[in-house]
Parts: sequence; C-alpha cells; structure tokens
Amino acid sequence: MSDFAITTLLIAALFLLLGTGVWIGLALIGVAFIGMELFTTRPVGDAMAVTIWGSSSSWTLTALPLFVWMGEILFRTRLSEDMFRGLAPWMERLPGRLLHTNIIGCAIFAAVSGSSAATCATIGKMTLPELAARGYPDEKVIGTLAGAGTLGLLIPPSIILIVYGVTAEVSIARLFIAGVLPGILLAGLFMGYVIVWALLNPGAVPAPTERTTFAQKLYASRNLIPVLVLILLVLGSIYTGIATATEAAAFGVVGSLVISAAQRSLTWETFRTSLLGATRLYCMIALILAGASFLTLAMGYIGLPRHLAEWIGTLGLTQFWLLMALMVFFIILGCFLDGISMVVLTMGVILPTVQKAGIDLIWFGIFVVLVVEMAQITPPVGFNLFVLQGMTKRQITWIAKQTLPMFYLMIVAILLTYYFPGLVTWLPQQMMSK
Amino acid sequence: MRTWLDRLYEAAGWLAAVFMIGTLVFVLLGIFGRIFGFHVRGTDAYAGYCMAASGFLALAYTLRRNEHIRVTLLLGHVPPAARKALEIWCHAIAIALAAILAFYSTRLAWQSHTFNDISTANDATPLWIPQLAMAFGTAILLVAFVDAFVAVLRDGGKPSAGEEPARIE
Repeated sequence: MSDFAITTLLIAALFLLLGTGVWIGLALIGVAFIGMELFTTRPVGDAMAVTIWGSSSSWTLTALPLFVWMGEILFRTRLSEDMFRGLAPWMERLPGRLLHTNIIGCAIFAAVSGSSAATCATIGKMTLPELAARGYPDEKVIGTLAGAGTLGLLIPPSIILIVYGVTAEVSIARLFIAGVLPGILLAGLFMGYVIVWALLNPGAVPAPTERTTFAQKLYASRNLIPVLVLILLVLGSIYTGIATATEAAAFGVVGSLVISAAQRSLTWETFRTSLLGATRLYCMIALILAGASFLTLAMGYIGLPRHLAEWIGTLGLTQFWLLMALMVFFIILGCFLDGISMVVLTMGVILPTVQKAGIDLIWFGIFVVLVVEMAQITPPVGFNLFVLQGMTKRQITWIAKQTLPMFYLMIVAILLTYYFPGLVTWLPQQMMSK
Repeated sequence: MRTWLDRLYEAAGWLAAVFMIGTLVFVLLGIFGRIFGFHVRGTDAYAGYCMAASGFLALAYTLRRNEHIRVTLLLGHVPPAARKALEIWCHAIAIALAAILAFYSTRLAWQSHTFNDISTANDATPLWIPQLAMAFGTAILLVAFVDAFVAVLRDGGKPSAGEEPARIE
C-alpha cells in the first residue's frame, strides 16, 4: 500500500474514533494498533505493552504528576487570591486589565515548570475561576491561557528542550539560556495583542474594581511574597544545579504544602481533595501520553513521519522556505502528535538537512520549541487544549478557536527570531564569552 | 453489586493516590540521600514505578468521575436515540481496547516474571512487580467500561452521576 493510502486510512480512522467520542487516549491506542497490525509484521500487542509501560514509568516524566499535584495544592490555598491581590493593581491600568495576569502568571510559572500542560493547568487553576468571578469574557480568558501556557515550553526549564538537546547533541544549558529572550518576546506579543484587542473593544473588559495609589500597589505586592519564595525555591534549585526538574517539582510540592499550612488552609479535607484531584488529572494526561507513545511507535514502524521528512528534504528549498515548509509540516504533524514524540521522531531525519542548510542548531532548537508550542494548541491532539477541556468542560474545537490569535502570534515570533536571530543566539554567546 | 464496584474503583483510586505520595517520597529520598550522604539504591526508578502505578490504578476511578477526555461535540448535539447508539459504539470500542490493554499488560507482567526480567537501572527490581499495577489498573478499567456499557444499555447513557466539580470549582 502506498504511503498516501496508509496516511489517509490512519487519519480517517483517527478522525472517526475521535469524532464519534471515543476517549482520546484509547483512540490513539486504537489507531496505532490498526496501523501496526496492517502495516508491520511485529507482534503488536507485546510492543504496545512494553512501549506504554516504558513511557508511563520513565523518570523524566515524574516531574509531570508532581507539578500537577503542586498546582492542585496551590489551587486550594489562598495563594491564588493573594497573587491576584498582588498582581491585579498593577494590571488595572493596562488595557485588557486582568487578562494580563494570565500571561504574566504563565510566564512566571513557566520559569518553574518545564511543561506547557502543567503551566496551563497550574495557572488556569488560579486564573479561570478568578477571572470568571470578575466577569471577564470566557473566550479571551481561555484563549490567552491556552496560548500563554505554551510559554512553559520556551521559558526554561523545558522538558522539550532537554529532549532536543539530547537528540541534536547541543548543550542543554545554552538551549535553556537561548529560550529566555524569545520567551519574554512571546509573552510581550501576547500582552500586546490583549492591549490592542481591549482598545478596539472598549467595554468588553469589566471596569476596574477600585483605584489605587502607587504606595497601595506596592503594599498590595506583599501578597506576592509567598509565590516569589516558592519560585525562588523551585527555580533557584534548578539554576544552581542543586536539583533536576523532578526534584525541583518535589521541592515545589513540599513548599506548597508549607505555604498552605502557613496560611492555615491545609486541612485533611484540602490535602485529600488536592491529592485525589491531582491523581485523576494526572491519570487523564497519562492515558493520553500512553496512547501517544504507542501511536508514536506505530508511526515510527510504518515510517510515516520519516517519509514525510525525507520528502521535504528532496524539495531543494532555500533556508527560509525550508524553515517555512518545516513549520507547516510540524503544524500538521502537531495536529496528531504531542511535541516530545514529534521531536524524537523527526529530528534524526531533519537535522542533517538543517545543518546542510547552514542553520544554527541552537537557533533551530528554539524554532522547534516555538512550532511545538503551536502543536500544543492545534486540535485534535493538543495538550493545552486537552488540559483546558478537562478544566472547563468546553469543547476542544471551541477552545482551539479562541486560541487561534495566539497561534498567529507564535508565527510572528518565529518570523521575528528568523529576521533577528540575535534574539536567540545573543544570550548564549554572552555565556560562552565568559 | 453497584456498591461493590464503586468500592473497587474508589479503592484503586486511593491506592493510586498513595502511589502519588510514593512518587514524591522517592524523589525526596533521592535528594536527601545526596545532601546528607546516605545512598538509597534506585530511587529514580522507584519514583517512576510509583508514577506508573498511580496513573494505571486511577484509570477506572477517573473514568467513573467522567474525567477522561473525549470529543463530545457530536455526542452533545444528536437526539437521544442516536446518542445511545453512539455511546454503545464508543463503549464497545473502549471495551475492546481496554481488553487488549489489560490482556497484554497482564501478559507483560507474566512474561517479566517467567523470564525473570530485571530492571537495567541500578534498582535491579524484578519488573513484574511494578508491572502488576499496570495489569491490575487496566483490568479494573475494563471492568469499569463493561459497567458503564451496561448502564448505557439500561438508560441510554445519560451523563454519569459522578460529574466532578473539583476541576472547575
């Protein structure tokens, strides 16, 4: 059977299963099973069990449940209220007001989290109910959250950058440093969008609740101290090399429990609900991850991503058009695969082409992360969409539609880093010159 | 029967929560071991096993709380009769896939046991022990899907009673 026929068949099967409402993780497993059964001779069931076991028990993934739990604990403290009391007065003067707390909140949390979904889940835990209670329009709240949540990948620490660094044999420390400025740039673009949108739609954003003086704002900022201490604990432990992301996540869980206890909001009831809530939320993500890992294996065996990548390699494109083609390719692939699988599957094939085209591998790493960020918010398989669907019970297509402006802004960010590569390469070069 | 099944899912859910704590404990143990200079072998691997156990054992419990994600666009916009048919189709596929998962997970643990498969990391754990959680978790998931299927056949698949407000509260 030709590649085209295989692709068509599998995509049709995926859409049929997902569209009719089969649980997403199971649908991925089903498509992978059909694909492998039809197009390979390998014993499918055993390969499935080994792959799912391997991905479900991998050490690198342990940061995920712990950061999810940390978010659940923080959600049940008064920290969210405190954070808003601290941030809100500074945002009230900006057009778009508290929508910016979504973006700044995500940017700040991204500095303690390596995962886009975890950032989205944690900040969403704080901002979704708070902004809804203040009467902000749902579509903008969810759209900015899904978009800004992807900063978790770009702003270090970042799991996807580690995966890329290992695959491409590039210094992970330099990749981390390279992600800082593009992360701030992207957050700035998101905020700029909210400002423009708010100016064009006066009245869409609720009026500020009260006017405050500068001294009052500064005094309100004391509410941010617990968050900042926690960030210092988690971020500091990573940056000083004391802890890995997982260990920092463990610090984060303990730190959150301490903050919760200090605020006297730590009861058996809040501990129990946060633990069970985190277990279910993690389980929901774990089932999808399990399905994605098996689908990734199946596709690898069938050779689909590899063939697609090879085909793009034969087109003989200029550097710019090669990157644009890769971007389109990754966006399409990102509709069906999660970011880590995408990177793991394709880098081995694409990197030689990329190097031959004279593209800096550090720069390309940031490019890949930006494209993977887009994949996080493209249906039907986009992790931020899954997380937000779980949190808001909204339709995945509706969420994706609200996130579309952020998607375009990410393309803008890619173009900006293309025309101003210094955004990516300058900081790591400063690091090297020392 | 109803009570017993619910107790099974709840118990597995609680066990999953205990393993979530286990993940944290092993990660912390690894950190403190390094700081205070005592060495506990294989904490990384144990943390991974705990995480896996937590994820698998919570499968049925999470399903019961209606928190596994699915695209409900079509389901939510069709008349009750079509909805029932769709739900039967979804549950039938889910049962088939859960059965495949449970069968091969059990087989994996069984084969690890038979061939005395040992973890290649420094924990040297016989792999069938942590893999048991995968076998049990997916088996309970299968039970839960059959349970849900029966409910769909009986009352046409109304949204389950366990709609959980926690995530959106």
